[in-house]
Amino acid sequence: MNKKIISGISGIFVAMLLGALIMALQGYQPFETYAALFSYSLGDFFSLATTLQNSVPLILTGLSASIAFASGPVNLGQPGQFLMGALFATIGGLYVDLPPILMVPFLILLAMLGGALWSGIAALLRQWFGMSEFITTLMLNMIADFFTYWAITYPFYDQAAFSPMTPLINKSGWLPEFGEFNSSVIVMLLAFAGVWFVFTRLTAGYEWRITGQNSLFARLGGCDINKNYMTVMLLTGALAGLAGGLVIMAGPHRFLKGIGANYAWDGVMIAMVANNGLIATVLYGLFFATLQTGALGMELITAVPSEFIQVLQAAIVLIIVAGREYLDIFMDRTAARRKAKERSA
Amino acid sequence: MKILIGLINGMLTGATPILLAALGGTLTYYAGIFNIAMEGMMLGGAFFGVLGSYYFQSWEMGILAAIIGSLIMAIIFIFFSVVLKTDEFVTGIGLNLFALGATTYMLRQIFQVKGAFSGPGIVSIPAINIPFLKDIPILGEILSGQNLIVYIALLATIAIVYLVFKTPFGLRLRAAGYNAACLDTSGVRTSRIRIWSLLLCGVLCGLAGAYLSLGYVTLFSENMSAGRGWISLAAIILVNGSPWGIAIISLLFGFSDGFGLLLQQYIPSQFASMAPYVATLVALYVYSVREKKKKA
Repeated sequence: MNKKIISGISGIFVAMLLGALIMALQGYQPFETYAALFSYSLGDFFSLATTLQNSVPLILTGLSASIAFASGPVNLGQPGQFLMGALFATIGGLYVDLPPILMVPFLILLAMLGGALWSGIAALLRQWFGMSEFITTLMLNMIADFFTYWAITYPFYDQAAFSPMTPLINKSGWLPEFGEFNSSVIVMLLAFAGVWFVFTRLTAGYEWRITGQNSLFARLGGCDINKNYMTVMLLTGALAGLAGGLVIMAGPHRFLKGIGANYAWDGVMIAMVANNGLIATVLYGLFFATLQTGALGMELITAVPSEFIQVLQAAIVLIIVAGREYLDIFMDRTAARRKAKERSA
Repeated sequence: MKILIGLINGMLTGATPILLAALGGTLTYYAGIFNIAMEGMMLGGAFFGVLGSYYFQSWEMGILAAIIGSLIMAIIFIFFSVVLKTDEFVTGIGLNLFALGATTYMLRQIFQVKGAFSGPGIVSIPAINIPFLKDIPILGEILSGQNLIVYIALLATIAIVYLVFKTPFGLRLRAAGYNAACLDTSGVRTSRIRIWSLLLCGVLCGLAGAYLSLGYVTLFSENMSAGRGWISLAAIILVNGSPWGIAIISLLFGFSDGFGLLLQQYIPSQFASMAPYVATLVALYVYSVREKKKKA
C-alpha cells in the first residue's frame, strides 16, 4: 500500500517537474501555470463540482479497462463502447418520454446495453472464431466512430444545427442537478460500489481475478473460463457505455460530433497507471479530471495551450509505470539489507 | 478501364504507409518485442515531415526530418522498454498517446493552428516518371508516375527480406525472438539487437509518416495516422511476420481503401470510410478459422 502511494506521488512529481522544465524552456512561468491549473479545477465550489462531473467518464472507462485487464480480456474498446452507449441513450431520449423517475434509469440501462452490445460483438467473435479481442475491439472503435458520425449526420440530424448533431433529448431524461453538483457523480459512485463489491467480495469476482492471473489454474480449479470471459466483456462494455450515456444526460443533452474524443484512451491510461486496482483507478481518475478541467484555466491565465495536458498525462503514465517496477526492486533490496543487519547485530 | 487504373493506383497509395510501418514492425516482431508503437512513430514522422519540408522548403529535408521525428519516438520506446524494462504493452500505449498529445501541442505552438496545418509552403514529395516504362499503354500509368515513397516501399520490402533471411544480423534478429537466453549465451547481446530492430522500425515508420503528410496529402492534421499503425500490426500477426505476406496483405488493405473511395458515390461516406477496418476484421476472421483448422 505504502509502496503504491510513494511510487504514484513520486511519479507525478517527476512528470510535473519535467513538464515545468519544458514550459520554462519555452519561456512560460511553470509555477504560475500549475497554480492556475489547480486553482481553476479545485479552487472554489463551482470548479470542484465541474472537476467531479468531468471525472465521471474517466473513472467509468477506467474501471472498465481495469476490470477487463485484471480478469484477462484485453478490452481496448472503451472509446467505441462509450460512443455506442452515448448513441443509445440519445436515441432513447429523443423518442421516448416517461416521467423522470422512470426515464433516467431507462436511459442509463439503454446506455449500458449499447456499450455491452458493442463489446459483446468482440466477445462473440472471440468465442466463435477465436479472433483476438485485442485487435477486434480496436477496429470496432473505428467502426463505431464512423457509425455514430453517420447516425448524427443523417437519421438523427438536428435540422436547425450547422454541424452534425442530434436535437436535445427530452427534458425528463436530463440528470437532476443539486446546486452546482450534477447527479451523474452519484450514478458513478453507485456503479463503482456495485462493481467493487462484485469484484472483491463475490465468488464471481474471485474467479475473474484468478483467471486474470492464471487462466490454466482457474480452469483446472473448475471455473467456466468461457462464461467468465463473456460476463467480463459484457460488464466492461456496459461500464464504458454507461460513461457515454452519463456524459449525454449530464452535459450537452445531445450527441455532438467528437463527443468521445476527449475520453478516447483515457480509460486505458488510467487503468495502466492504477495497475488495474479499482480504488487506485478512482483516485487517478479524479487526478486526471483535475488536470483536464484545469487545462482551460491554465490556457486562459498563462497562455500555455491546453493540449499540454495531453503530453503531461502520457508522461505521467510512462514515468509512474516505469518507476513502480524500479522502486519495487529498490525497496525490496533495502528491506533485505536492513533485515540482514538486524540478524547480524 | 479508367476506373480499374484508378482503383489500382488507389490501392498502391493506400497500401504504402501500411506496408512501410508493417515492415518496421516485423523487424521488432522477429526480435521478440511486442511493439504496438508504430502508430505513434508514424504520427511523429508525419508531423516532423511537414515541419522539415516547411522550414527548409525542400522535400528531402522533409523526409529526413520525418525519419528523425520517428526515431525520437523509437528512442523513447527503447529507453522505457529495453533499458528500464517497462511492460512493452504499457510503453506502446503510453508512447502512442504521447505522440498524439505532443504533435497536437506542437501543431498549436509552432504553426499556431488547431486541427490541421496546410499551406503552400509545404513542399510535397514528387512523383517519379520512369523513362520507357511510362510509354507502355495502360501498364505505364500504373508502373510509372507513382510517388517516390511508393518505390522506396517496394525496395524496402526486398531489402527487409534480404536482411532478415540472408544476413548474420537477420539470423541474430530471429534468434533474439526465438530464444533470447540462447543468443545471450552465444555472446551476442539480445538487448543490442532489439535496440537496432527498434531503430530500423523507427526509420521505416518515419518514411510511412512522411508519405502520409507529404505524399498522400500535403498537410498535417491531428491524429492523421488514424489507426494505420494498428492495421499494420494486424497485418504482421496475420502472416506471422513474413515480409512478402505483409506486402500482399497491405495491398488488400490498400484495395479496400481505394474501393471505399469508389463506393462513396453510392453510399454515405462514413460507411465507405469503414472499409479498411472491416477488411481487417475479415482478414482476421479468415486467419483465425485457418488456425483453428490447423489445430483440429
